[in-house]
Amino acid sequence: MSGMNNIDHNTSSQSDIDEIESLFHISVQPAALEVPRSVPPARKPSSPPRIPVSAPLLPPSFVSSSNQAFSTPVQSGPTPSTGAGFGGGPQYNTLTEPVRETLKRDLLRVATNLKDVVLPNPYREDPGKALRDWDLWGPFFFIIFLALTLSYSATENKSKVFAVVFATLSAGAIVLTLNVQLLGGSIIFFQSLSVLGYCLFPLDVSALVCQVNNTKLFRSLVVLVALAWSSWAAYPFVSTAVPSSRKALAVYPVLLLYITVGFLVLAND
Amino acid sequence: MSKGYHSLGDEIVSGSVPVAASSDRVLQFQDSFSNPGSGSQGGANGSSTGSGWQSYFNAVSYRPYFNVDTADVVERIRDSLFPFKGDFVEKTSHNPDMYGPFWICSTLVFVTAALGNFAAFLSAQSGSWHYDVNKVSWAAFMFYGYVAVIPLGLYFVLKYLGVVSGLVQLWCLYGYSLFVFIPASFLCVVPWDIMRWAVVGVAAVMSAGFLAINIRSHVKTASERWFLIVTSSAALQLGLALVVKLYFFTYFYHDSLVHV
Repeated sequence: MSGMNNIDHNTSSQSDIDEIESLFHISVQPAALEVPRSVPPARKPSSPPRIPVSAPLLPPSFVSSSNQAFSTPVQSGPTPSTGAGFGGGPQYNTLTEPVRETLKRDLLRVATNLKDVVLPNPYREDPGKALRDWDLWGPFFFIIFLALTLSYSATENKSKVFAVVFATLSAGAIVLTLNVQLLGGSIIFFQSLSVLGYCLFPLDVSALVCQVNNTKLFRSLVVLVALAWSSWAAYPFVSTAVPSSRKALAVYPVLLLYITVGFLVLAND
Repeated sequence: MSKGYHSLGDEIVSGSVPVAASSDRVLQFQDSFSNPGSGSQGGANGSSTGSGWQSYFNAVSYRPYFNVDTADVVERIRDSLFPFKGDFVEKTSHNPDMYGPFWICSTLVFVTAALGNFAAFLSAQSGSWHYDVNKVSWAAFMFYGYVAVIPLGLYFVLKYLGVVSGLVQLWCLYGYSLFVFIPASFLCVVPWDIMRWAVVGVAAVMSAGFLAINIRSHVKTASERWFLIVTSSAALQLGLALVVKLYFFTYFYHDSLVHV
């Protein structure tokens, strides 16, 4: 049965249109667990379903009901998913949904991960447990945002400042993850990159706040608070990943990286 | 349907690939992962454990060089500060680590760049100071390059002279010898040139002395030219300290910012 779906995916867009129609049938008759085998008669050719933004891909009478057809299989669906994307979810569903659904889902995931990692929550079940639903968009945005902010507010060598900040952060995250792995800890590479990237959020905020007021004292205070916050957020994840006799060896480089970034924020003028 | 896949796989394996060879290769992989310490006997250079070229790209195969606890690293740092016995190399020969050298270098890069800028800030008139981001890249190039290349050169020289020495041990030695520059950099922030020269001088002598004593005790019995090797490595270390002082910490407290 799953083999049948595999074969369906590799053919032309006509079969995609058939899949959408079969999804519609599934949502209407939830008891039907099988994808209908017979190929329906040829539909009116329209723009390919993979680009739903420009033109309506189904006749207008289908639009409202097809939106509902997309939402219900995700929640209750007998979804014969063949492979999971990064955050789960069947492949053909995410290929054919509107872009705003994708963006909304990704933004929601970034916000949820941010809340889990960075915001203080005394009722966290296990602070050392890594993000279940990690992603790399959040860290990417934060790194780019920090590099852009610092480069924008620099008076000379703007592109060099951007390059130094970006290289330090990305190479630093990779090296920190390798460090934990080499010390004998067991973490997933991209999950660790994700957590370290999310913990950069307080420093982003501090860089933004430092644009407002340019006195050294204010900047020092803000950067210090952001630094403490970032380190506090990253500490449980890193310290529980290695054996306890090496905890300081794993935590010290994290502190070093965030102090470096804090200094770059502080010294920028 | 899953049964169908299994039967398909079995047919291919039994037909073309001899079973014995594939199982040997599997066993070899398992052995290399279960005995990570087998490749790091005393004096071994940084070569692979297990199957050939692929282990160079696998992080797990470098784990033997990071097999240290916090207490070990602290003890090695303390040994580097009091270089009166020459036994650092012997003490670390069974377990040379790359954690210390790498993170001491990284800390040095950050500390010298940051404190060099801070020292410039303190010495400058208000308004004429700009953050010099070139310091970070030059610091990285200098320290990483020194610790990576000089021990490599020394290793080849020693090999030519017939002395037994491990490359990772030399890296370990050079890495820990640089630790004393970290507190020296903190002290160099004070905008008083004589004090800066004194601090850097003391740090350079301590670091070069540590290096010289250890290399001497390692090399003395094995070759006649040990004196030359020892003095040249000490001289290189002093040269590094001089460059650090001149590039990062030389500012004259005049009306305008003068950088030598």
